[in-house]
Amino acid sequence: MKHFSLASDAIDLARLHASLQHPGSGGFCAFEGWVRNSNEGRAVQGLEYEVYAELALAEGERIVEEAIARYGVNAAHCMHRTGNLAIGDLAVWIGVSSAHRDEAFRACRYIIDEIKHRLPIWKKEHYVEGDTAWVACAHTYREHEHEHHHDHVHELAAPFVPDYSRQTRLREVGEAGQAKLAAARVLVIGAGGLGCPVLTYLAGAGVGTLGIVDGDRLDASNLHRQTLYDARDIGERKVDLAARRIAALNPAVTVQTDAEPLHAGNIVDVFGHYDLVVECTDDLGSRYLSNDAAILTGIPLILASVYQYEGQLQVVTAKPGDPCLRCLWPQEPAAGVAGSCIESGVLGPVPGVLGSMQAIEALKLLLDLPRPTDHALLLINLLDGTSQRLPIDAARGCAMHGGCAEAARRGLTMAQAARDVDIVFGNLDAAIAAGYTLVDVREAVEIAAQPLHAVSQWIPSTLIGEHATELPAGPVLLVCASGRRSGVAARMLRGQGMLNIHSLAGGVATLVPQRDRIAG
Amino acid sequence: MMTVTLQYYAQLREQARTSGEQVSTSATSLHDLYEELRARHGFSLSSDALKVAVNAQFSDWSRALRDGDTIVFIPPVAGG
Repeated sequence: MKHFSLASDAIDLARLHASLQHPGSGGFCAFEGWVRNSNEGRAVQGLEYEVYAELALAEGERIVEEAIARYGVNAAHCMHRTGNLAIGDLAVWIGVSSAHRDEAFRACRYIIDEIKHRLPIWKKEHYVEGDTAWVACAHTYREHEHEHHHDHVHELAAPFVPDYSRQTRLREVGEAGQAKLAAARVLVIGAGGLGCPVLTYLAGAGVGTLGIVDGDRLDASNLHRQTLYDARDIGERKVDLAARRIAALNPAVTVQTDAEPLHAGNIVDVFGHYDLVVECTDDLGSRYLSNDAAILTGIPLILASVYQYEGQLQVVTAKPGDPCLRCLWPQEPAAGVAGSCIESGVLGPVPGVLGSMQAIEALKLLLDLPRPTDHALLLINLLDGTSQRLPIDAARGCAMHGGCAEAARRGLTMAQAARDVDIVFGNLDAAIAAGYTLVDVREAVEIAAQPLHAVSQWIPSTLIGEHATELPAGPVLLVCASGRRSGVAARMLRGQGMLNIHSLAGGVATLVPQRDRIAG
Repeated sequence: MMTVTLQYYAQLREQARTSGEQVSTSATSLHDLYEELRARHGFSLSSDALKVAVNAQFSDWSRALRDGDTIVFIPPVAGG
């Protein structure tokens, strides 16, 4: 008997049960999935399963076989219903028999999790109100992914040997080029619309080490352009998902992940561990930070960005005398000026094209392939199919105000200062002990309602500009209700050169209430 | 009056509702031309947030206009 079956009508469970009898089995475990009367808060009166039968049978068979091999059980079967089902009907039946109970439980769990995850079965729910909806399989937590050891793991396949013959056949690549790629370490900042093709092509090409930095979790709105991910991945960290996909694509690649965005305090160190950086975020601040770190470390950087149907590409070689991002746009534009995929919209293939171009620029640099000797900003318009290559004259850029390195140092210092503005304290005594003078910038009524219970000056945020001279020279901590007004005021004062001004992150709202503290 | 060809990218394309146009202008510099267009199309970006290129070369805003120039205004973009 096959290990997996589809049934359009109720079936004889006794027969299925009997088919799993085995003289060596000391335990039997069954799982039954039933039709429930509600889903996500809606009353359901029945449902309908639609199945892509050929694929479901083949995949179902594979899943049960995997479970048998993985846990070393004696017999297993899974039956999935199709067609119309009423409340309480049996939708799925899984039975496993094995020498001991533990493997039977685990194999049963493995089968149901994988069935939910992988089988091409769609569920149409019929609601009590009379309407219906096709329900996608949501992300399934799979227990076996979290198992640390298996007594019965059977190695499934021989070790994978990558085959790079299609690229080593290129005269300019060859075995020597492949060795360069294997030795290369590339950092990809951002695993989104640009990062997906970059990571895919660099992993496929056999780049030895890929670093991935991304602080985001996958959102359903990412899937139209971020081709490494699946609908079942929603809510998971992109760095984990991307690392898993790369391991599946080319196990020969070493992947290093970081789910914390880089900042002015660590970016230069991080760049130092790589030979090349590809900037794939949707954040102008990150682009300027990466540009400055590239200039200061001499590590080349490949920049790209997209807007709706168009994109820009610039390779920053980070060699003295070559132009950088600041040679084109010296200062980071104010927030909101440059647009984003969220605000402006984007068609999925647009970052796909630009990311693919970043990947080829990366391979050209790593392989030392012929590149134009001059430097340019490339503009791609995918609506009318045009591109423009605008040569950048380094002499007309940063060179006119101190050079790229000087601009990069200034940029990093400013980014670091901006980062230092907001400071976290659980209580104000700690701030005073750390040497800060407290300045309450709230309005009088707020202070009356919730006094600070600590020695402080009072200058309302609306007046702080004209009273700036009354602030002490030492470190100052501005305090407001939420940290917003104090943050704005601190940044304004820092803009006037008062770099000793800080803001209490989160404001009074984050302080541990006085009554909860041990009286001292 | 001179006739020049304009190309718009990103927000400018969106705000002008076209990726390019030919205009007759009495402006004498790129800067004056941009201000004229900004008033007409309601561009939200000021010229110091943009790069400008003439006949496929980056250019200074003070450059004099010549009849037949092809001018491209380029804002930095952030999407990814």
